[in-house]
Amino acid sequence: MSRVEEIVNLIEFVQPFPKVARRVMELLTDPEVEAKTLAEVIQYDQVITANVLKICNSPYYGLARKVSSLNEALVMIGHEPLKEIIVASSSAAYFKGEVGAGYALEQGELWRHSVAVGVLAKHLVGKIKEVEPGTAFTAGLLHDIGKRFLSSFVSDDFELIMAKVTQEKASFVEAEKDILGITHAELGGMILKRWDFPDEMQRAVQLHHDPEALAGEPLTALVALSNALVISAGIGVGADGLATRLKGEGLRRFGISQPHLDLAMVSLLEELEQAEELLRL
Amino acid sequence: MKIVVGISDMKVSNNPEDVLITYSLGSCIGVVIWDPVAKVAGMLHYMLPDSSLDKEKAQLKPFMFADTGIPRLFKETYKYGATKSRLVVKVVGGSQIMDSSGIFNIGKRNYAVLRKIFWKNKIMVTAEDVGESGNRTVSIEVGTGRTMLKVSGRGEFEL
Repeated sequence: MSRVEEIVNLIEFVQPFPKVARRVMELLTDPEVEAKTLAEVIQYDQVITANVLKICNSPYYGLARKVSSLNEALVMIGHEPLKEIIVASSSAAYFKGEVGAGYALEQGELWRHSVAVGVLAKHLVGKIKEVEPGTAFTAGLLHDIGKRFLSSFVSDDFELIMAKVTQEKASFVEAEKDILGITHAELGGMILKRWDFPDEMQRAVQLHHDPEALAGEPLTALVALSNALVISAGIGVGADGLATRLKGEGLRRFGISQPHLDLAMVSLLEELEQAEELLRL
Repeated sequence: MKIVVGISDMKVSNNPEDVLITYSLGSCIGVVIWDPVAKVAGMLHYMLPDSSLDKEKAQLKPFMFADTGIPRLFKETYKYGATKSRLVVKVVGGSQIMDSSGIFNIGKRNYAVLRKIFWKNKIMVTAEDVGESGNRTVSIEVGTGRTMLKVSGRGEFEL
């Protein structure tokens, strides 16, 4: 069995995305769905229930008053934020512990990076208008899920990969592809496929390090841009550093120029401060 | 004691037991200054070149920008007896992603502004490690001025 086959075969063993979360996402595609119906599904997952209440009462969503029951929370919070909470509390488990060690990421750093890209992607929907905020957040949050599963393989060949990056000026994913036969982005796309996430999200994750990403589909461009800015800010960055290729010309069609990127960096810090509760999931 | 300098943050200490450290500088720049006589060290981690981008924000968070952060860093060390002529000045960070269009050149702009401010104020840089696409963590021992730099792909060394 080749290295790539060995890695791809592992996907079979990736735990399915929590059922309750998937069911709720399905229900939420109907804008008329009632809070009561959602509550009936959510109450069977204690983790999600607790997180919905905790996060609803966090400054990030700025509700006017504290909520104490699931029903009340669901009435107050609205569909998009609920999607975010459901996705974040279902995803957090995958990012717990030593999951980014192969990338020289300390515990919690891969999650911090993921949350940062999620909140920034959502913020940038104001500029890249064809994307729904909830979709932006989810794709951003899950863009590096492949790192979680490629980490140990990267660790095995760390010196070879780093040599390619430092001596040959390759980007980190080019080195992954060359040494391991697959990149964390490609692997991530496959995992999202296995979890039955929409095609558009699969592609955004799969292509987030593609140099042409900014000229691609809006969601792909959005995730690639958010990731590039979060990496530049140094949030949850490991051995891969800033060694990623991205052609900036693609931003023109969105009317995004340099000052917008600077302002996005400022917003990123603010959004991340407000999203503290998500970091603690 | 280890004193962590966050993003858009600045710390100064004259306790010889302290170590100032800032993690994960990407396009941000870390300025590390030390007076060998007064035994005072200061560290700034700024994110963007120019406060005119958001004047209000610069009021609240002066260490976010080079032009509002750098002067404050120097002035803060003077309070502890440092003098400009004695200061050992080290500069790290300012990396960027690999983009030929130049729109992602935040690191380069961050460095250009620092150079301009230093030139105007006749400040000499003792050592620097800037640019390329590495990610940097820098620390300084307040008592000795020993400055350690860790760069992704290049390991850890004294600067």
